[in-house]
Amino acid sequence: MGSEDGSYRSSKNSKKPKYSRFTQQELPACKPILTPGLVIGILISLAIIFIPIGLLSFSASQNVVEVVDRYDEECVPATSSKLGFIQDAQTNKTCIRTLIVPKKMKHPIFVYYQLDNFYQNHRRYVKSRSDHQLWSPKNEYMTKLCEPEAVDSNNEPIVPCGLVAWSLFNDTYTFSRNDNSLTVNKKNIAWTSDRTKKFGANVYPKNFQSHGLIGGAKLNETIPLSEQEDLIVWMRTAALPSFRKLYGKIETDLEANDKITVVIENNYNTYAFDGRKKLVMSTVTWIGGKNDFLGRMYLTVGGASLFFALAFSLLYILKPRPLGDPTYLSWNRKPTL
Amino acid sequence: MKRYVYINDDNLAQDLYCDNRISNRKYTIWNFLPKNLWEQFSRFMNQYFLLIACLQLWSLITPVNPASTWGPLIFIFAVSAIKEAWDDYNRYLSDKKANEKEVWIVRQGIRKLIQAQDVRVGNIVWLRENDEVPCDLVLLGTADPQGICYVETAALDGETDLKTRVIPSACMGIDIELLHKIKGVIECPGPDKDIRRLDANMRLFPPFLDNDMFPLTIKNTLLQSCYLRNTEWACGVAVYTGNETKLGMCRGVPEPKLTAVDAMIDKLTGAIFVFQIVVVIVLGIAGNVWKDTEARKLWYVRYPKQGPWYELLIIPLRFELLCSIMIPISIKVSLDLVKGLYAKFIDWDDHMVDLETKTRSNAANTAISEDLGQVEYILTDKTGTLTENKMIFKRCCISGRFYGNENGDALTDTELLNAVSSGSADVIRFLKVMAICNTVIPVRSKSGAISYKAQSQDEEALVRAAARLHMVLANKNGNILEINLNASLLQYEVLDILEFTSERKRMSVVVKDCQSGKIFLLSKGADEAILPHSHAGQEIRTYAETVEQYAQLGLRTLCLAWRELDDDEYQEWALMFKDANSTLIDREWRVAEACQRLEHDLEILGVAAIEDRLQDGVPETIATLRKAGINFWMLTGDKQNTAIQIALSCNFVSPEPKGQLLMVDGKTEDEVCRSLERVLLTMRITNTEPKDVAFVVDGWALEIALKHYRKAFTELAILSRTAICCRVTPSQKAQLVELLKTCDYRTLAIGDGGNDVRMIQQADIGVGISGREGLQAARAADYSIGKFRFLKRLILVHGRYSYNRTAFLSQYSFYKSLLICFIQIFFSFISGVSGTSLFNSVSLMAYNVFYTSVPVLVSVLDKDLSERTVMQHPQILFYCQAGRLLNPSTFAGWFGRSLFHAIVVFAITIHSYALEKSEMEEVSMVALSGCIWLQAFVVALETNSFTVLQHLAIWGNLVGFYAINWIVSAIPSSGMYTIMFRLCKQPLYWITMILIVAAGMGPVLALKYFRYTYRSSKINILQQAERLGGPILSLGNIESQTRTLEKDLSPLSISLPKNRNSSVYEPLLTESPNSTRRSLGAGAPFDFFQSQSRLSTNYSRNCKDN
Repeated sequence: MGSEDGSYRSSKNSKKPKYSRFTQQELPACKPILTPGLVIGILISLAIIFIPIGLLSFSASQNVVEVVDRYDEECVPATSSKLGFIQDAQTNKTCIRTLIVPKKMKHPIFVYYQLDNFYQNHRRYVKSRSDHQLWSPKNEYMTKLCEPEAVDSNNEPIVPCGLVAWSLFNDTYTFSRNDNSLTVNKKNIAWTSDRTKKFGANVYPKNFQSHGLIGGAKLNETIPLSEQEDLIVWMRTAALPSFRKLYGKIETDLEANDKITVVIENNYNTYAFDGRKKLVMSTVTWIGGKNDFLGRMYLTVGGASLFFALAFSLLYILKPRPLGDPTYLSWNRKPTL
Repeated sequence: MKRYVYINDDNLAQDLYCDNRISNRKYTIWNFLPKNLWEQFSRFMNQYFLLIACLQLWSLITPVNPASTWGPLIFIFAVSAIKEAWDDYNRYLSDKKANEKEVWIVRQGIRKLIQAQDVRVGNIVWLRENDEVPCDLVLLGTADPQGICYVETAALDGETDLKTRVIPSACMGIDIELLHKIKGVIECPGPDKDIRRLDANMRLFPPFLDNDMFPLTIKNTLLQSCYLRNTEWACGVAVYTGNETKLGMCRGVPEPKLTAVDAMIDKLTGAIFVFQIVVVIVLGIAGNVWKDTEARKLWYVRYPKQGPWYELLIIPLRFELLCSIMIPISIKVSLDLVKGLYAKFIDWDDHMVDLETKTRSNAANTAISEDLGQVEYILTDKTGTLTENKMIFKRCCISGRFYGNENGDALTDTELLNAVSSGSADVIRFLKVMAICNTVIPVRSKSGAISYKAQSQDEEALVRAAARLHMVLANKNGNILEINLNASLLQYEVLDILEFTSERKRMSVVVKDCQSGKIFLLSKGADEAILPHSHAGQEIRTYAETVEQYAQLGLRTLCLAWRELDDDEYQEWALMFKDANSTLIDREWRVAEACQRLEHDLEILGVAAIEDRLQDGVPETIATLRKAGINFWMLTGDKQNTAIQIALSCNFVSPEPKGQLLMVDGKTEDEVCRSLERVLLTMRITNTEPKDVAFVVDGWALEIALKHYRKAFTELAILSRTAICCRVTPSQKAQLVELLKTCDYRTLAIGDGGNDVRMIQQADIGVGISGREGLQAARAADYSIGKFRFLKRLILVHGRYSYNRTAFLSQYSFYKSLLICFIQIFFSFISGVSGTSLFNSVSLMAYNVFYTSVPVLVSVLDKDLSERTVMQHPQILFYCQAGRLLNPSTFAGWFGRSLFHAIVVFAITIHSYALEKSEMEEVSMVALSGCIWLQAFVVALETNSFTVLQHLAIWGNLVGFYAINWIVSAIPSSGMYTIMFRLCKQPLYWITMILIVAAGMGPVLALKYFRYTYRSSKINILQQAERLGGPILSLGNIESQTRTLEKDLSPLSISLPKNRNSSVYEPLLTESPNSTRRSLGAGAPFDFFQSQSRLSTNYSRNCKDN
C-alpha cells in the first residue's frame, strides 16, 4: 500500500505547482533527531563556550574593587532607642566612618548607598507616583495615583507627589582621603533619558514635605526636577528588596591602603523595619559591579555539560543501542508465551 | 395541529400563516450585539475572562493596566463576532436573492409576476421547466396529459436522480384555463420536517368534480428548493411557506460535537483553575499576614491603621488577577485557528480526491479533527461504503434451474439466452417481474437509446439485465407501461404500487395486462419477506437454499414472485388501500397492513442474485486500520451470509483458524439469552489468546439483546474487536453507536445512504461517502470522502497529526502561561507579598497575544513521523487512541517544566541583575526576554520537522520581540523608555540570556536525549529508523505477507468461514488498546520535562475496564 500511495503521489505531484506543497503539507522539512553524536556535540560545545566565558566573567568580577561599610548600627548611640534617636529632629546625627582601600581603585569610582530589606517594589509604594506630573507643570493636578501623598492639608497638589518621592533617601556623605577632601561628583548620576524626557526642566517642587509626616529628604524648591538627580535616581524604583543607588562618582584613582574618612549625616530611618544601610565604593568592569554569580553559574553549567557529555559518551560505549531498531517495536516481537 | 388551505381564495385572509419570506439568519441588526454577546458569554472560559477583566477595573487591586486583559478579550470577542456577522450577512444575501426571485402566481384569476417572498399559503404558483420551487406546493396540473412531472431533489436530499411527481387524481384532466379558477380546500398537518411524507387530503369545490376527499401524499407535492425538470410547466397550490416548509423545518443547527481532546483541555483548565484558587488563597493569606506583621512597620508604605471592610479581600483579589494569566486567553483562539487549518488540509488533500467523480474530501465540521486520531471503533455500513454500490445482475435461479453458475454471469449464459428465445414461460414471467416490478423511469434520448433513472440501484440492475435479455422496459407513460419483448409490444397498466419500506423489505406492483385484462400482483423482496408468503404447497426449500448459496458468494439476493388477482379481490382491496392511504394518523403503518392483505399466496418465480463489488483498497484499508488498533463493526441491512462473506473478503474477520465467528441468534428471549451467554463465555476464554474473535448478530436478536440483556451485550461489545450486525434498521444502527458511546469509546460511523444518517449523526465522528445513493449521508456527516479507502489517510494522517499538534499546542499554551505566572508568584515573595506585577501591562498583553502564540501556531506543520512511516506502522496510532500525548501526566510534565523554567529565569535574573542593577523596568525586561528565549527553544526542541515557516516563526518571533520592544522603548511616555536599548548594549544582558537558555534547556535536552535513546517510545524508534534510513524498510516483509486480495469470489464450495485456506500473518497486537487497556497498572512517575515520551499509563480509561 505504501508503494501504491507513493506512485500516486509522484504522478500527481509532478504536475503540481510548488505553492501547493503547503496545502499538501509537503513543505521540505529538516528533521533533526537527537543522535548521540549531535547531543554529545552540543554538550561539549556548550562546555567549550561556557567555561571560558565563566572564567572571564569570574575574573572580571574579581578585578572589581569594592568597599562596603554598613553604618546603620554604629551610627546610632547604643544607649538610647534607635527609633527615638532617628525620629528626633533635634539630635545630632553626624557620624564618622573610616574606610581603608584594599587595592588600587581606578577611577571612576562609584559611590552607592545600599538599602537592605527596603521594599521599593511594594505595591502600595511602587504605584504611588505620577509620571505625568513629573514631566509637565500642566499636569500638576494629576495626583490620583499618589495617594496617600497626593495633596497637602490645603488640598494643593504636592509636586512631586506620591510615596516614592516622599520617602527620598536623605543620608549624606562627605568624603576625605588621608585628611584631604575628596570630591564626589553628583552630576550625571541619573539616566540622561530620565533627565531629559521624564523629569521636566520647568517643574519645580511644591508643597513637598511641608505638612504632616515628614518622610525623607526635602527638595530645593528653586531647582527644577530635571536637575534633582538624587530624586531621579531614587525614583527609579528597585525590583529587589536589597538595592544600591548611585550617590556620586569619585573621579580620581584611589591607592591601596588609602584611608577614606566619610562624614555621614545619618538621617534616614531604617530602624523602624530592621533595614540596613551600607555605603559602597566600587569600580566597574565590562560586566558591571562585583558579581560572582554569573562566573560561577557559567562554570557550573559548563562543567555539568562536560560531565553529561562524558556520561553520555560512556553510556554510548558501554551500552550501545542501535537507533531505530525495529525489533524494539513490540508489535514486531514474537510473543513470549 | 391541522391547517386548512383554501386554494386560490384571495378574499380569505391567509394571514394565519407566515408569508414566504425565507430567513436563515440567526441575528437581526438590532439583536446582533446582545444575542452574540450572550452566546459568547454562555461559555465558562469567557465568563471567567470577563470576571477578571471587570475586577481589573478596580484600580486598587489591579496589578496591571486593565487594557492587558480587555485588549485580548475584546479582540477575541470581536474576531468571533465578526465571523458570525459575516456568516449571517452571507445568509442574509442568499435569503434576499431567494426572496426576491420572481414567480408567477394567480391573483383574481389572472397570472401575475410577484416576488417569491410575497407568496401566501393558498396561492397557485406556476412553474416552468428548470424553475426552482419557491415553497412547498401541492401539484394541481402539469403540462403532461397524464399529470406527471419530474423533479430534481438534490438540494433537499442530495439525490440527483429525477423523481416523478403526479397530480392528485382529483385534478386529473382539468383544463389549463380552469386551473386559474380552481377552488378547494386542502387539509394537511402542521409544518414538519419529514421530507418523505405528507399525509393530507384535498377536496375540490364545485363545479370541480365531487365532494370527495382525495388523499395526498408526498408524490403529489413539489417541495421548496427542488427543480422542475423535463416538464414544460406545472402549477400547484402553496401549502407551506417561508420557514415552515419541509426544507425550512429541516434546517437547524446541529449540536456541536466536543472532541475528547477538548474535553481533556477543559478538564486541565479546570485543574489549573483549582490550582490558581489554591495559590490565590495561600498567597492571599500570606500577604495579609505579612501586611499585618511586616508592612505596618514600613513607614514609607504608610498602611492606614484602619482599612475599609473589604481590606482582607484586597490582597487575595490582587493575586487572583495576577494569576489570571494562568489560564491562557489565547488558547481558544489558537485552537480555533489550527482546527480550521486541519480541516483545510483535509479539503486540500490531493490524495483524497476521488478521481472518478472528481470529488474532494470535505471536512464539514472543522472542530473535531483530533478525534479522528482517537477513533477506537469504526461502525461501517456495507453497501455503498465497503462496496461500490454498482449493482450487476450476475446469477439467477428460475424455477429450480440455475443460470450463471458456470461462467459467473447469467447474462451470457447460453442456457438462459436459449430459454428466453424459446419463450419458456417461467423465464418470461421472471423477466417480466424484473422489468415491471420497480419504480424505474425509462428516459428515451433523442437518438432513441433508453436510459434508466432509478432510486434503487438494485432495481436499475434488474431492469438493465431484463433489457439485455430482450425484455425491454421501453416507456412509462403515466400508468401505462410498455415493454418490448422480442419486437412485440406489451402494455400494462399500473394500478397500484405497494412501496418498499425497510420494515417490509419488499415491494409490489399491481398491474393490469392491457391485452387480456388480467390483474397481477408482482412482488420482489428479501427472501424472508417473500418466501413465507408463498402459496401453500410450493417447494420453497430450493429457493431458500439458493439464497443461502448466493449469499455465501457475497451476492445480494432478491426473490421474485407473482400472483394473479381476481377482479373482485382487487377491487375490494383497492378500496381498503385507498382508505389507508388517505388516513392522516399512522398512515405508514396502515398502508403496510393493507399491503400485507394482498401479498400472500405468492407464486415464487425465482431468485435473482446481484453482485456488488468491493471498492478498491477496502481490504487493505481495513487491515491497516485494524492493525492500528481500531475495532470494526459492520452494520448492514443485508443478509447474514452475504455480510459474513463480504466481511471475510475485506479482512474484516480472519478466517479459521486465526479467527472465529460466534453467532448470537435466536428468536425468543431465552434463545438469545443463552446464545449470548455462550458467546460471552467463549469470548472470555479466547480473550487471552491472540485470536481474532468476532460475533455475528442479526437484527432480531439484536433487538432482544438491546432490550433485555443490555448489560451482557455491552460486555460482549467491549470484549469483541469485531462484530457483524446484519439485518439491522437505521435506528438500530444508531442504538449501537449509542451503546459504544456509553462505554466511553470514540466511535466513527461511516456510511453512504439515507439509512446511515442517524448513525452518522449519533457517532462522535460521522463520515459520509459521497456515493451513488445521493449525498444525504455526506451532508449529515462531519467528513465526506469519495471512497472508503480514504478513511485510512483521514485517520492515520490527518487525525493523527491533528491530535499530535493539538496536544502540543494546548499543553504548550498552558506551559507558557504558567511560566510567566510562576515568575510573578516568585516575585511576589520578594515584593512583600503585596501583589506587585513584575511585568508591565504592555508586556503581559503582548506576551500571550504575540510573543508566544505565533511560534506555536506553525506547529500545525509539524510532522513527527512521515506519512509513509505511519502507513507502514499503523500501530503507532495507539499513542493517539490512548491519549498518550495529552493527559494529566504529560500535562504534569509541562507543568514541571514551566516551574523549572520559571525558577531558572527568576533566579538568574535577580542574581545577575542584583543591587545597583536592580532597576524595576530592566529586571522586568530581562525576565521577559528570558521567557521568550526559553519558549523559542522549547518550541524548537519539541518540533519534529522544521520547514521554512517554522524557522521563520520561531526565530522571526524573537526578532519581532526585540523589534516591538525597541519601538516601545523609543516612546518617551512609555514606562520602558530606553530600557531595551540600554539592555541590548550591555554584555551582561546577553550573557544572562545565554545562561538562561543553557540552564533552562540543558537539563531538558539531556533528559529528552536519555529517554529518546534508552527509554524510547515507539514513536521515537520509528523517527530514528525513518530519519537515519535504518532498517525500517526491512519490515516490508511483513507488509508483503498481508493477505492477498481476494476479490474474486468464484470458488463456490464455501460452507461458512471454516475452510478459508489462506494462512494469514496477523501481527500480534500486544499493544493493542484491548490488551493494554487491561494491563495498564500502576503508573510511572510524572513525566517531567518531556511530553512525547513513554508516559505513565495510570491515566487510562478505567471506566472501560469493568
